[in-house]
Amino acid sequence: MRVLLVEDNAELVSLLVKGLARSGFAADSVGSAADAAHAMAAMRYSAIVLDLGLPDEDGLTLLRSIRGRADATPVLVLTARDGISDRVNGLRAGADDYLVKPFAMEELVARLQALLRRPGNLLGRQLNVGNVSLDTEGRQVLVDGTIRAFPAREAAVLEILMRRSGNVAPKRLFEDQLFGLSGDVGSNAVEVYVHRLRKMLGDCGARVKIHTVRGVGYLLAEDKGG
Amino acid sequence: MTRFRSITSRVVALHVVAIGVTSILMPLALYWLLNAAANNLHRDALRGQAFTVASYLKPMPDGGVSLDIPPEAEPIYSGGYGLYVYAILDARGKVLFSSRGDGQPLASPAAPLSNEWFEQRRSTGTVLIGASVSRSIDGRLYWVQVGQDLAHRDVIIDDIVASFFPRVAWITFPILLLLLLIDILIFRRALDPVREASATATSIGPTATDVRLPEQAMPAEIVPLVRAVNQALERLEAGFRAQREFTADMAHELRTPLAIMRARVDSMDEGPLRRSLQTDIVNMTRTVNQVLDIAELESFVVAGGERADLQAVCADAVSFMAPLAVDGGKAIALTGVEAPVWVRGHAEALFRAVRNLIENAIRHAPSGGSIEVDVAADGTVRVADDGPGVPPSERANIFQRFWRRDRARADSRGLGLAIVARVAAAHDGSVSVDDRPGGGAVFTLRLPPA
Repeated sequence: MRVLLVEDNAELVSLLVKGLARSGFAADSVGSAADAAHAMAAMRYSAIVLDLGLPDEDGLTLLRSIRGRADATPVLVLTARDGISDRVNGLRAGADDYLVKPFAMEELVARLQALLRRPGNLLGRQLNVGNVSLDTEGRQVLVDGTIRAFPAREAAVLEILMRRSGNVAPKRLFEDQLFGLSGDVGSNAVEVYVHRLRKMLGDCGARVKIHTVRGVGYLLAEDKGG
Repeated sequence: MTRFRSITSRVVALHVVAIGVTSILMPLALYWLLNAAANNLHRDALRGQAFTVASYLKPMPDGGVSLDIPPEAEPIYSGGYGLYVYAILDARGKVLFSSRGDGQPLASPAAPLSNEWFEQRRSTGTVLIGASVSRSIDGRLYWVQVGQDLAHRDVIIDDIVASFFPRVAWITFPILLLLLLIDILIFRRALDPVREASATATSIGPTATDVRLPEQAMPAEIVPLVRAVNQALERLEAGFRAQREFTADMAHELRTPLAIMRARVDSMDEGPLRRSLQTDIVNMTRTVNQVLDIAELESFVVAGGERADLQAVCADAVSFMAPLAVDGGKAIALTGVEAPVWVRGHAEALFRAVRNLIENAIRHAPSGGSIEVDVAADGTVRVADDGPGVPPSERANIFQRFWRRDRARADSRGLGLAIVARVAAAHDGSVSVDDRPGGGAVFTLRLPPA
């Protein structure tokens, strides 16, 4: 997996390149928008990590020109700008995700993996949380390496939760993905599937927990015991 | 002039006074002019008659004069209604001929003999007016006086004064009123650019300092004011720009070294030192973020007409903070209305306010406790926790910057609630804290509806 890191701070670049390498990403780094354009012309990257504060050009301008070329390469924007009036600017210009400095290395890796796992990208057919794994291809659930038979709907709920593990998956997302536009969703249909899924995970000793965020959705997190 | 604040009303008021004065003065002037014109006409007519009579004087061989009035002209001098009387005097004032045959001059004997207009009040109470002209025959001077009873003045002249005048006097009033109306229209038109500039000016704010008032089409008298205002805006914009750039630069200067520090610590081997350094960096990052928010809120103003869905803002904030709550073994829930709640406001600023309230609640709720965020249709957000609550004596202080109940506690309330208070103030809203029934604190953020 080759990513392009566009960042002008040399020290941060060397630390990030090493950190990404530890997680299996080969990163090329450039320190200016002009060099980034050259690199992108020469090579096809799986993703671009773009710092907005570049010496020669605003990162947003570069982002717009990438999107202007109908280039769909996922772009993860890094920024030190997180002002009240800044926040949405990056995403509006076509960024796929947004990370404010400083950030944890594992957060950067997780976000990159999430971008590469999006439809059309092949990375990470396997999702892992705690001792639970899910193969997105066949929706096969493994707990502690043992294949467990989960009904299709429950497996689908688990996939949605695992794709967003650590974050809230809004209830609406389940309704849309489980029932599409076709079915008339009962008000507690999602609740019923989540309840069943909880029981199944518990029965087979999964160390994950589905937290209900009432009024918003569900959050899957590793169960640290207790 | 405090009673008439608008230029138009001042013009109207002054105009009404002017109309009042003019509608009195103008008829008077007209009357005077008409009378003068009538008198002139009358005088010319009388002088003309005097010359005609003088032309009938013929020299006689004995050195005297004779008066030969053609028989057809005789009736004119009978002295009847609208007719004339005459008297012809020699240089010494002796009456030689007289239409009235009484041997008296028309004007008083004391009146000087000259080419003059005269008026003679008579014993009958009427006034005789007349003209006298001189004529020289064979080196001798004769005076011809022609007069007319004032009561018998020419009918036409009387008519002009008597009937034309009231009509003219009355027509002046509507004309003046029409003039007033036209003036008001002209004035309003002239002030249109000022009105437009005022509308433009209302959109000026810290979020839109690039607005300038238009100078073209502005009345020349107002251009200097407009120019001065624009220059003031220029300076104001420079000030805001400097403030924004400073905040942005500060963000970059503070966050870049933190990012390097974090990446360096993350590359260390797993262990207690790494974990505690990571926690330190997280805490420091939080303080830096809050200081930057406070700095930005210093000059933050909600743009006019901006609105936000408070329900969506709260859903985002709850989603955003849920991992932290779950991590601390606390439950979080969003209750209240599920439909959009539109308020006048900036979505991101409101998000940060609600986020800070939730963060505060998570910090004070006990492990296993719960945080409830409730949105009401009237633009109110309540964030309740089941922590120890806030004693009444501290309620006024907790929204102040850097206020802490326990200065020894590193992660205590610092700037979070000050940010909430500033966001509330920027929205003309309010934030307050009360006891939650059954224990705990409930923070209420009220926002004006859109």
